[in-house]
Amino acid sequence: MDDLKRRLLQRIIRTMPTQMLKTTLSKWARLNIEQQESLDFTQPKFLLTDQLLALCGESGLGVKHITELEMIYIIDNPNQRLWHAYQLLEAGDDAHSVEVTNFKEQFKVHLTELIRHVSIKIKKHTDEAVWIRIAWGDRSSRPNHLKPTYVVHHLQTPYVFVTNLTSKTMPLLSQALVMATRYSSMKDANLSGRNLSAVRDLLMKQFQQVFPSKHLQPLGKKNQINSNPQIEREQDEQSETRLQIACEAFGGGTLPELQKAIYTLETKLKDNTNKIMTEREQPFRCVVTFKSTNILESLRHSAMTGIASTPVTPMLSSISQKGRNHFLITDKGPGPQRKL
Amino acid sequence: MSTLGVLGHLSKLETQARKRKEAPPQQSGLEELKATVEALVIQRDQLKAEIKANESVQKLRSEDPDQSTGGGEELGEGADGSDGSVNSQLLQLMARHAQLTDLLHAHHLIGGYDIIKTCQGNGLCVSLATSYEGVYLERYSLEIDVAPKLRITRHDVPTFVPLARLAEQGGALQTNLRGFLGSLSRHLNGYAGRKQQLKLVKEQHKSVEVMESNAPCSILILLMTVPQVKDIAVLCKLDYTDHTHCLPEEVTIQSEDKDLLETTQWKNNCTLLKETPLHKALATLIQSGDIK
Repeated sequence: MDDLKRRLLQRIIRTMPTQMLKTTLSKWARLNIEQQESLDFTQPKFLLTDQLLALCGESGLGVKHITELEMIYIIDNPNQRLWHAYQLLEAGDDAHSVEVTNFKEQFKVHLTELIRHVSIKIKKHTDEAVWIRIAWGDRSSRPNHLKPTYVVHHLQTPYVFVTNLTSKTMPLLSQALVMATRYSSMKDANLSGRNLSAVRDLLMKQFQQVFPSKHLQPLGKKNQINSNPQIEREQDEQSETRLQIACEAFGGGTLPELQKAIYTLETKLKDNTNKIMTEREQPFRCVVTFKSTNILESLRHSAMTGIASTPVTPMLSSISQKGRNHFLITDKGPGPQRKL
Repeated sequence: MSTLGVLGHLSKLETQARKRKEAPPQQSGLEELKATVEALVIQRDQLKAEIKANESVQKLRSEDPDQSTGGGEELGEGADGSDGSVNSQLLQLMARHAQLTDLLHAHHLIGGYDIIKTCQGNGLCVSLATSYEGVYLERYSLEIDVAPKLRITRHDVPTFVPLARLAEQGGALQTNLRGFLGSLSRHLNGYAGRKQQLKLVKEQHKSVEVMESNAPCSILILLMTVPQVKDIAVLCKLDYTDHTHCLPEEVTIQSEDKDLLETTQWKNNCTLLKETPLHKALATLIQSGDIK
C-alpha cells in the first residue's frame, strides 16, 4: 500500500511545476497550514516526495486522498492528455431531468455491477462539468490507480470526453454512462485533441461561427499599401470575400486548438491489366495527416490569403462544421464518411 | 327726386334690385368654376410631379439595384455625384424609403425572421434573434439547403436544443418552415430567458448561492439562508421541464427545519418562485425578509 502511495505521489509531483504544486496542495486542503509551510520546495523532487509521504502518514492520508490530489491537478491542467470525444445517442424521455446527485449514484451503481474491482471518484467542477476518475481492475486484481481513465461530461448535453480509455474498458464505461444519463447508446465522435476545452467548444458549438449576412461586418483589418484607389478597392473586395469564405468554413475569432486532422483513404485498384492487384481483397489505405499547433487557424489562414483555393472543400470545412478530425474516405461515396 | 315721384323712385329701386339679384349669381358661378379649374390644375401638376418623382424613384431603384440595397452612405454619394440639388437628394431619400417599406413588408410576410439567400439562391440563411424582457440577446443562425429538399447544413444552435427532433416532427422542416422556425425560436428564447435570469441572480443576489446549474439552465439548485435566531439553510430546486419556458414547472424546497416549510408563508413563496422570474422573486423574498 505504501509503495502504491509513493508511486502515485511520485507521478503527480514529477509532472508538476513547483508553483503549481504549492497551489494544488492548498486546494487539496488535506494537510494543515503548518504542514504545508514545513515543505521545502527547493529540494530535489524525490526528497520532496519523501517529505510529503511522511506528512501523509502523519495525517493518516491514504491512496484515496492522493487520488483526490491527482484529480484536482488534472482538472486544473487537462491539456497534458489526449482527449477523445464520444457522442450519446437517442435521449430518453427522462434524460433532461438527470441531475448530479442522481447521476453520481446511478453511474457508480451501474459500473460496479459490471465490474467488481473498480474505483470511481466523481467531482462536479465549477464550470458545470462532471469529472469522473476511474481506476480499473479486473477479475482478480485490484484497481490500477496508476493508469486511471478520466471522463468529463456536461449533463443534458450529448457529448462525453474521455482520456486514457482502452478497448477493454470502453464497453463498460459506455454502458454505465448510457444508463446513468438515460441515453440509448454511445458512439465515437471521431474527434480528439490535447486541448480539452477546444474539443468541447467544437462539439458544443461554443466557438464563433460566421454565417452569410446582409450586413457585412468588417471581419478583419485591411492593410494594403496600394495607392491606386481602384486597385485598392478591387483587392479589398477580393480579400474581403476570401476572408468571409474562410470564416464561414472554419469559424471566426479565436479558433479551437486542434493538433491534427487525419484522413484515411481506402480504395481498390481498378486496372484490367493487373489482375492480382485488382482482385486483392484488402483495400489500399492511404493516410494523410495535417499537423499544426492550431490546425483550424492554419487552414483558415491558407484560405484567407489565397494559398488554398476557395470555396473550401467540405473535407476541410467539416472539421469545424461537423466537429471531427478523423475521416474515412471510401470508394462508395464522395465526401467525408463515418469512420468505422 | 321730385320729378320722378315716389312710384318712379320705387320702380327704379325695383329694377336695380332685380339687376343685383340676377347678376351676382352669374358672377359667383364663374368664379367658382375658375377656382375649380385652378384647383384641378394644381392637382394635375401635383400628380404630374408625383408621377415624375415616382418615375425617377423607380429609375433610381432600377438603375443600380446593388447600390440601393447597400447602405445609405452609397446613396448619399450618388446624390453628390449628380446636380446635388435638394430635389435629387429628396428623390434619393424617397427611393430609399420605398425600398425599406418593401423590405419591411417582405419581412412581415416571412414571419419576421431574417432570411437571406445564399449560394445563388440554392440556400437560405435564417437568423433568429432571442430577447428577454426587452433586451436583445444572442442570435442563432441556420444554413439551409433548398434543393432537392430542405436540409439544415450548418447551424450554431446549442447542442441541447433538440433541433433534429423539431425539424422532423410532422415533417415540419419540409412542409411548415414557419412552424418549425417558430418552435425553434421558442426553445431558443426559453433558453436565453433562463440564462439571463441566472446571470441576473448571480449579479444581483450575492447572498443566494447557486449550488448547481446545467448547460440548458433547466435545473437550478439554490442555497438560501433564512434569518432567524439561528440561520436556517434552505435548498431550493427549480425544474424547468418545458424548455420553451422561462418559468419553472416545479419548485421543491428542502430544509432541516420542516416546520418552516409547512407555513403558509413559505407555501406562498413557492408559488411566487413558480410564477415570477427568478431574480424578481428572490428580490421580493429578500425585501420581505424571508431570506437573506
